[in-house]
Amino acid sequence: MITLTHFMVVSAGLFCIGLFIIVSKKNAIQVLLGIELMLNAAILNMVAFSRYDRVNNGGQMFALFAIVLAAATTAVALAIILNVYRRYKTINPDEINQLKDQ
Amino acid sequence: MNQPLSHTDAQTVTLALIAVLLPFAAFVINFLVLGKSKATGWVSTLAILASAVLGITVFFKVWDKQVMHVQYLWFTIGTTKLYAGVLLNNLSVLLLALVSVIALPVHIYSTAYMNDDEGYGHYFRYLSFFCFSMLALVVVDNLMLFYAFWELVGFSSYLLIGFWFTRDSAVIANKKAFIMNRIGDIGLLTAIIILFTQYHTFDIAALFGSDGLIVRSVITHGEWVGPVGHIPAVWQYVAFGGIFLAVAAKSAQFPLHTWLPDAMEGPTSVSALIHAATMVAAGVFLLGRAYALFTETELTILAFVGCFTAFMAATIALTQNDLKRILAYSTISQLGFMVMAMGVGAYASSLFHLATHAFFKCLLFLVAGIVIHQVKHIKDDNNLDIDPQNILHLGGLRKKLPLTFIAAIIGGLALIGLPLTSGYLSKDGILIQSFEWSEGRNIFFKLVPTFGLLNTWLTAFYVSRLIIKVFFGEFRLQKMNPHIKIHIGDGSWQYKLPLILLAVCCLFPLFSLNPLLYEDAWLFHGFFQINFLVRSNMYHTIIPALVNVLSIGVMYGAWMLYVKRNTWSVPQTGFLFRMSCNEWYIDKFYNRVIVKFVLILSDTLYWFDIKVVDGLVNLIQSIGIAFSKMAAWFDHYIIDGLLNLLAAVVQGIGDFARRFQRGKVQYYLYSMLLALIVVFILKILIWT
Amino acid sequence: MNILTLLIFAPILFGFIILLLPSSWRASFKYITLIATLLQLGISIWIYLNFKTGPTNAGINFVDEFQFVQKLPWIHLDLGSAGSMQIDYFVGIDGISVTLLVMTCLVMVIAAVASWEIKGNLKGFFALFLLLDMAVIGVFCALDFFLFYTFYELMLLPLYFLIGMWGGARREYAAIKFFLYTLFGSVFMLLVMVGLYLSVKDPVTGNHTFNMIYMMDQANYIQGSVFSVLSNATLLGMPARTVGFVVLFIAFAIKVPVVPLHTWLPDAHVEAPTPVSIILAGVLLKIGGYGIIRICMSLFPDVAHSGAFWLGLLGVISILYGAFNALAQRDLKRMIAYSSVSHMGFVLLGLASQTAEGVSGAVMQMVSHGFLSTMLFFLVGVVYNRVHNRDIYNFRGLGTLMPKYTVYIMIAFFASLGLPGFSAFIAEAFSLAGAFKSHSVNGLLPYWMAVCGSVGILLSAAYLLWTLQRMFFGKIALKGGDIWKNALTDLNTRETLTLLPLALMALALGLMPSLVFAKINDSVLALVEFLQIK
Repeated sequence: MITLTHFMVVSAGLFCIGLFIIVSKKNAIQVLLGIELMLNAAILNMVAFSRYDRVNNGGQMFALFAIVLAAATTAVALAIILNVYRRYKTINPDEINQLKDQ
Repeated sequence: MNQPLSHTDAQTVTLALIAVLLPFAAFVINFLVLGKSKATGWVSTLAILASAVLGITVFFKVWDKQVMHVQYLWFTIGTTKLYAGVLLNNLSVLLLALVSVIALPVHIYSTAYMNDDEGYGHYFRYLSFFCFSMLALVVVDNLMLFYAFWELVGFSSYLLIGFWFTRDSAVIANKKAFIMNRIGDIGLLTAIIILFTQYHTFDIAALFGSDGLIVRSVITHGEWVGPVGHIPAVWQYVAFGGIFLAVAAKSAQFPLHTWLPDAMEGPTSVSALIHAATMVAAGVFLLGRAYALFTETELTILAFVGCFTAFMAATIALTQNDLKRILAYSTISQLGFMVMAMGVGAYASSLFHLATHAFFKCLLFLVAGIVIHQVKHIKDDNNLDIDPQNILHLGGLRKKLPLTFIAAIIGGLALIGLPLTSGYLSKDGILIQSFEWSEGRNIFFKLVPTFGLLNTWLTAFYVSRLIIKVFFGEFRLQKMNPHIKIHIGDGSWQYKLPLILLAVCCLFPLFSLNPLLYEDAWLFHGFFQINFLVRSNMYHTIIPALVNVLSIGVMYGAWMLYVKRNTWSVPQTGFLFRMSCNEWYIDKFYNRVIVKFVLILSDTLYWFDIKVVDGLVNLIQSIGIAFSKMAAWFDHYIIDGLLNLLAAVVQGIGDFARRFQRGKVQYYLYSMLLALIVVFILKILIWT
Repeated sequence: MNILTLLIFAPILFGFIILLLPSSWRASFKYITLIATLLQLGISIWIYLNFKTGPTNAGINFVDEFQFVQKLPWIHLDLGSAGSMQIDYFVGIDGISVTLLVMTCLVMVIAAVASWEIKGNLKGFFALFLLLDMAVIGVFCALDFFLFYTFYELMLLPLYFLIGMWGGARREYAAIKFFLYTLFGSVFMLLVMVGLYLSVKDPVTGNHTFNMIYMMDQANYIQGSVFSVLSNATLLGMPARTVGFVVLFIAFAIKVPVVPLHTWLPDAHVEAPTPVSIILAGVLLKIGGYGIIRICMSLFPDVAHSGAFWLGLLGVISILYGAFNALAQRDLKRMIAYSSVSHMGFVLLGLASQTAEGVSGAVMQMVSHGFLSTMLFFLVGVVYNRVHNRDIYNFRGLGTLMPKYTVYIMIAFFASLGLPGFSAFIAEAFSLAGAFKSHSVNGLLPYWMAVCGSVGILLSAAYLLWTLQRMFFGKIALKGGDIWKNALTDLNTRETLTLLPLALMALALGLMPSLVFAKINDSVLALVEFLQIK
């Protein structure tokens, strides 16, 4: 049967992949994808652990909440990226180093 | 320190001083006022005329009467007081009169002889200066002043030898003369210093007087003990050596004689006065002054050196062809004779010969001057390329220059020493006394009188050769160039008068009323040794006879050889001939060995100075620079290097750490992750 | 106002005037300098005429016997229990200094006239010249060791610049060589000076003192101090007094110069401009000799006595070595520089004899050489200015071209080879007489030294006559051809007026040596006596 451990392994794997993408990719959208992956890993964990809270289904609730939030932040982030691209003609986070006040 | 002089004595001394100072006044006037004007000649001549008159006056006042000595404090050095003064004794007044009298005809002669020369003014300036120095030399009373004038006569001789200073041979000759004389000068200076150390005085009268300091000192046990002190005896010998060097240089004795023949580069009138009659006699005069100093051995050395010089010079004179050079060697020979006379104890004879020689040698030089002057006229008139002094071009001049010829005969006969001349009187005295001196000594000592005799015959030969070649036979120059015009003669009265004056002085009456017996000469009575005048042995008769008979024989031989050309002829290739012709190779030896040695030594020392002494300094400099370079390297690479290393390490760490602070999110994340992993690993490791 | 102080500081006043004047007035600088030196000469002659002689004015080791003395406190520091530091401005002269002072002042006038040839940076040149003038006069007058040292070092600075800036092709090398050489000597002198200061107490105030006259009296030495005779202290394993003497001697021997410390001299002379050469040869070398008398021998008479042989030996070596080297030269100025080495050897020989004749001869030689070397260097300068060449081989027959010049050359040459009638003859003869006499008077020098020294006189005749014959006689032949022939004009009035007083001085001293001897005699006798007592 599928135990909690399996969920956690999958979640850890997702997390690691996300983390790797964030650290290594030079593309802001990819980084955003990585963040989504990590977020999903956390959501997966929440869902998995919700088995121990069958009364309130707190885990499920938080998961939904987080998904909504994630969707919102992603939208905002994509908008920023779009603006950044417009301004700098690049979305490589390393090259965007002009955020400080001129 | 003297007893006060009477009025007349003071007058005499003043006269002597004036006689000395007149030529100096002439020198000053010529130098400052007259310049190149012809008046210089007459100023100098008048001055010397007055000097001569005063000199003779003083001579008659002092001769055989009393010694006059006046001195004034010159300066004080330490506790030593130096006096400058005048010492008039028989010796000095004789020379005073002699020098001024001889200088007079030479001055007159020079006014004509130098008339066409552009250095006329210079010439008389120098000549007056010479006369002043020479006259002062004979009267000064103090060795320092003696040395001073001794060198000043050398200096004026230097000026006059190099009178034609654009001629290289003349300036080389005068340099040689001065340096040779310098060798003698340092000898004299050394001797003076030794005497000063021993006796604490420079006063000639106090030192060499008849009861002077030197007479009262003895050499015992290797010490030279005098009345006021003593020094090792060797310094007495050194003092003699010094005086000998001085005499050898000034009077052209072997080994310092080589300058005199070269000194003939000067005007002939100068050669007559300075290099024949007066200055070169100063050496003999010095021997006379310092006579008391010499020991028996030292006198013997003098005798041998004088004899050798006389012989050597006579042999050289046999083959020379230069008119003046023959006379120069003859002068050396006669001076050798005088030195030899001093050595054998013929003190008075030596000075007598000095006096007579001065006249006849001066006369012969003046004759030579006229001949050269006339031949030069011929040369200039006809544009010939000849040496006017070469006797091989001459001959038969007796008809053209009758007075000169007569003068030459008189001078020549006096030089040979035939009766009726003054030379006879003085020369025989020396020979006789040298025989007496060698009496009772071993055979070796007989060499001196024997060579002396031989020498007189050699003299007879070369004088005959000279006179015959110049005045007899036919004029070879004309024979070679038959078309040349010859207008020559004895010249003006300025030439004739000096010749007549001197020729008269070469005859016997001036010195002795008896022409055959030298013992009657008045000059001997002025000097302290008179015992030799007794005709005690056969020498007094035999020697004059022997000398004269053989001399006449030699002269006849020369006549036959050179005029008749019908007897034997001399081989001109033999070793002896070459030796004589090359002047015994002495000059060559000096040039090749001594001069070269000195030059090499000086070059070596200069090399040493540059390479070693200065090299050492430069080495120290290089070492210093090397050290400083090393220090600079050390400073740069080691001390500064350490600091730089520290800085580099810090910078490296900073650089490393900076990489984490680039403001890049990913890096921050990365490093957080890394840190986390490290913490976990550590935790795991610590747990296990 | 003390006359000596005036004499010392007059030039520096004129120097200030020159510094304050605008550079556009540069034509007047040489006249200002000339006026300064002439003023000095006037003062020095006044001093000479008013200088009192007699045994009570001998000087040497008695403070009261010095003349024209001025003593002012200069640096006085109270050091509490360690006593107080006492440095005085203390000047005064005795017989030894007075003749040298007059000689120096005359040489300075000549040098000022010779400075006419200087073309560049006149303000600097004349200001340094006058500074140098002050320093050398100061050295001859100072009686306080510290003051002496100050003046002594003060001389170096202007000389360094004078050679280094206005000199010939290799001037920097020569200037640095000269500077380092002399500094090398004087730095160690400083150590000895401090040692002496710590060893000596002023008998009046009880303080340590730099007073040289007090240093001569053994009673003033503190017991057990390093330079006291009684304490027998050692330095580096040698007796301290010997070390002190040797150090001081080296310092002054460099100045004299004594072989083998002479090699700065030819370079410095050859590169220096004429006026500086004149000062170097005429005055600087005498400071060496003066220092040996006033300081080395007077402060360490015992060592001077025991080491006299070595001093004499060095003197003889200098005479002969310098003469041989002069014989090997072809540069006229270098030859004269080496002849200076030779002639100054007589000074050392005379001093080493420690007899009245020898010391008098040595002082006379210093005065005489002052005039003669000035004349010689001036004469070399004349030819060099005309054609910028000094090689003896490049000239011939100058006697025809420049008759007046040749007359002066002959006077200078014959005077310096010791022709009687000129000063050098008296000087050299008595140096040698003193050296010879020494053995029988005080047993210091062997007899042969004087004899060897006299050979130097012969050699000097050789090189000077060779030069005369080579350069001045014979037919005219010049390396530069007609250009040189036109450039080599005879002496002009200024040059004649410069040379004439020198020639006359040399002649006057030769004929009347008492001009010098009368003034120095008492001092020399006192010095000889002082040296004998030890």
